[in-house]
Amino acid sequence: MTDALKAEAIYDAMGTVLTRWTMGSAAAAAAPFWRAELGEDPAEAELRLLALSGQFLGIAVTAEPASTLRVLPDIPALALPTLPEALRPLARRMLAAKKQAQGKTELVDFLAARGWTTHPADWMPEAGDDDAPDVYAPWRDWAEIAASNNAARQQTNDHITVGNWDDFWPAARKVALAELRRRDPSAARAVLEAKLGNEGADTRLRLLSLLSERLSDDDIAFLEAIVANDRAPKVKALATSLLARLGRGQVIGEDAAELAGFFSVKTRGILRRARVIEAERPKTPAQWQRRKALLDGADLASFAGALGITPQELIAAWDWNVDPAADMALINLVVATGTDTQVADVAKAIGQHDATGLIVALAPRIAPTERARQAEAALNTHGIRFELAQTMAGPAARLNDPLSAPAGKALLAALRSDDAKPSDQVAELHALGLIASREGARRSLERLTAAGLLQGDPRLDMLRLNAALDDKGAKP
Amino acid sequence: MAIDLKAVEQLATDRSSLKAAAGLAKPAKWSGIGGSPDGALIWGECAGSGANPYRVMADLRDLGNKCTCPSRKFPCKHVLGLLWLNAEAIVPFAPADTPAWVSDWLGRRRGTSAAKPANNAPSGDAKDLRAARIVEPEVAEDPKDAARREAQAARRNEETERAILDALDALEQWIGDQLRLGLAGFIDDATARCRRIAARLVDGKAAVLAGRVDELPSRLLALAAGDRPRGAVVELGKLVMLARAFRATPRDAEVRRAVATSETRETVLADPQAVRVDTQWEVLAEHVQTRRDGLVSQTTWLLNLAASGPRFAMLLDFFPASVGRRGSVFTPGERFRGELVFYPSQQPLRALLVRRGAAEETLAPEWPAPDEALSDALTRPLLAEPWTIDIPLLLPQGRIARDDAGQVWWQSGDGTATLPIASNAEGLLCGTDLTRAAAIWSGSRLTILAAQTPWGRIGSHD
Repeated sequence: MTDALKAEAIYDAMGTVLTRWTMGSAAAAAAPFWRAELGEDPAEAELRLLALSGQFLGIAVTAEPASTLRVLPDIPALALPTLPEALRPLARRMLAAKKQAQGKTELVDFLAARGWTTHPADWMPEAGDDDAPDVYAPWRDWAEIAASNNAARQQTNDHITVGNWDDFWPAARKVALAELRRRDPSAARAVLEAKLGNEGADTRLRLLSLLSERLSDDDIAFLEAIVANDRAPKVKALATSLLARLGRGQVIGEDAAELAGFFSVKTRGILRRARVIEAERPKTPAQWQRRKALLDGADLASFAGALGITPQELIAAWDWNVDPAADMALINLVVATGTDTQVADVAKAIGQHDATGLIVALAPRIAPTERARQAEAALNTHGIRFELAQTMAGPAARLNDPLSAPAGKALLAALRSDDAKPSDQVAELHALGLIASREGARRSLERLTAAGLLQGDPRLDMLRLNAALDDKGAKP
Repeated sequence: MAIDLKAVEQLATDRSSLKAAAGLAKPAKWSGIGGSPDGALIWGECAGSGANPYRVMADLRDLGNKCTCPSRKFPCKHVLGLLWLNAEAIVPFAPADTPAWVSDWLGRRRGTSAAKPANNAPSGDAKDLRAARIVEPEVAEDPKDAARREAQAARRNEETERAILDALDALEQWIGDQLRLGLAGFIDDATARCRRIAARLVDGKAAVLAGRVDELPSRLLALAAGDRPRGAVVELGKLVMLARAFRATPRDAEVRRAVATSETRETVLADPQAVRVDTQWEVLAEHVQTRRDGLVSQTTWLLNLAASGPRFAMLLDFFPASVGRRGSVFTPGERFRGELVFYPSQQPLRALLVRRGAAEETLAPEWPAPDEALSDALTRPLLAEPWTIDIPLLLPQGRIARDDAGQVWWQSGDGTATLPIASNAEGLLCGTDLTRAAAIWSGSRLTILAAQTPWGRIGSHD
């Protein structure tokens, strides 16, 4: 027997040998080709057969795929460069330390604002990761391709139109639409008018929210059609709130009148009589619930109308810091249904009334540079901590001298105190690293090391990354 | 920031620590010595009894310290040695960027862990620097004593060998029983059955083999259910071959290493036959595994970047799980020049680090091409040592692919080879060409350690 024939005979016999052993019966008889090697003693023959079979199966038999194999497309290069190699270990360590997605997103947002992206081996967004910066859309779509069993669809980088809508994967499509909306609002609306109806409710909601950019009276007919015809309550509610922002609020109905009953318009002062809106304290839990439900469903214009004043007057006369739940509800009302001017008014009002914590809720409607400016102002005048300032500012902040703010002085004092521990102030130092400009980060590092922190202290990682990273982002 | 020897003396827990530290306060024992520019932190790597050096670090402000050795003494002799080097300025502590492993330790330090001076022991065993420095003269041994000692050692060796042979008889008997009782039952009850025979092997002084048998069930359970009978035959077959190899050549160091114990570091270093390779290495990966016998194995895989010589080296250390988590000694991807000595073997793989130079950037970032055809690389080690479990491989250009059932495969660029991957693969590994990949072939499945890609190196830390 030639070697090849013998190998084939052995291979054929292995099935029987394995079956016999699995059942607990002797297998030597199934391997006549090794009779000489196995010998006469039955127990010894089984052990020898085991050694030979094991070696044969280990060397000559490897598994083969049962079906055709599918290879995923290459992970595409992004529009921004990946972090310099030397800084990757630092970023990787921070990403590993942040257990929650929120912490990772902050760092990823920071990098994108400075003109960089992560290396795909260090971090990649998931397909449904809507919070990831737009620049990652090609990777989100790659993740979707990887998770689906479909053959890869051609990725396209063209401008989106009704005709090529289906060529886009979802994340890239949303980014392309947002870009079109910034460039040509009517064209973007026309694409949505033609295509929105075919998408699922969640996607409709996400895509419709793009209209908040450059929202104008031209959008009214489309939005009214959605309010009238869309099946999903959330999509309808979004269209309603967008209409309200254009001054097309609901007529003052029973609900608005009932809501107004929870508040009263009073005058205060003897010489300069000023109008004040006071919240009547609800007496029972049921009343609290009712007020909340009414506030959630209201719009700013009809609420003001029911009180007999204009929205501007309502914002100016609001009595801040008395009823926190009512404060937050008003902010949410302005975010959802206020015009851009009303948003600016309310931002100014809460800045004046030392209610800066509320500005975080306004963030979705404020331009990034304005957010950063307000955060800096609040740091310097209201003495808020860096953590809050960072939440207010978002990724666009580039503060040049954050340590001179009251929060910085408090931080330095805490680090210098006798009972300071090596694990203190982790979040505050991290937030400081996120909001400082590159120069601000360098200076902060100098002052912190002069105050006794070690250069290698992992609490300074974010500051070190910031100071070492070339700022190539669009500056405000 | 300066410390004096008095502080070292106070920190030591007892006289023997101090004595051992004195022996370590020599430049030759250390590499990678450095300190932070402000002088507060010092660090270094000290050669110990294991394959990997220990990473030692101290904060001079409060004498807080950390070492990766498994010693239960705190501080250990390595920390004391490092402080000694610093106190007497025996080597320069060049200011350098704080390495990531030192930063990691700083981040984990809780509260003020300032090291308290150990209570001074009663005068009978007082710690004394001068005493620690005295090198005790070697007492010349009486020739009769030496002869008696050798005779005793030979007798002990014979007894050990006898015990091992008895244990191997019991092992073969046990394997025969498993076949008679049916492999289906063995697979279902593998953990308990292997535990029992492993205990018998420990009694019979076949400790390494016992560890291997103890880990057999986990290797088996990692396979798909349908593949386990085949896996059981391969595993048990290897045991039979190893037992037979030991009976044939009980004094063979390589076979003994697989059955009973490994040579000590000193023995390997003193062996003129042991292959020594001084070249540039890349750290591929580090695997830390807690074993059923309560030991943690720490395996570091190194790739030889030179054109010739053993392509891979494996640094293997064991320490008790009870000493807790232990820091890594190497960072995957790091490259360094160093001398390794290989345990004598037909296929030199397991090695000890003799000397480690500073980390360095290499001029040639490309890995070398595979030294042999893939089919040979898969089988040659098994023909030389059929009981081998892990075979490191350098794979040619290829890519990760999936079948309809979701099983992951590595496919060579020319389409001639397809090998199953042991675990799932996701992210970048599946979305790019693998220009080269380093992997372990074990149980007819592949585990990728690291790969070179158009995106740069990707590896197990990613």
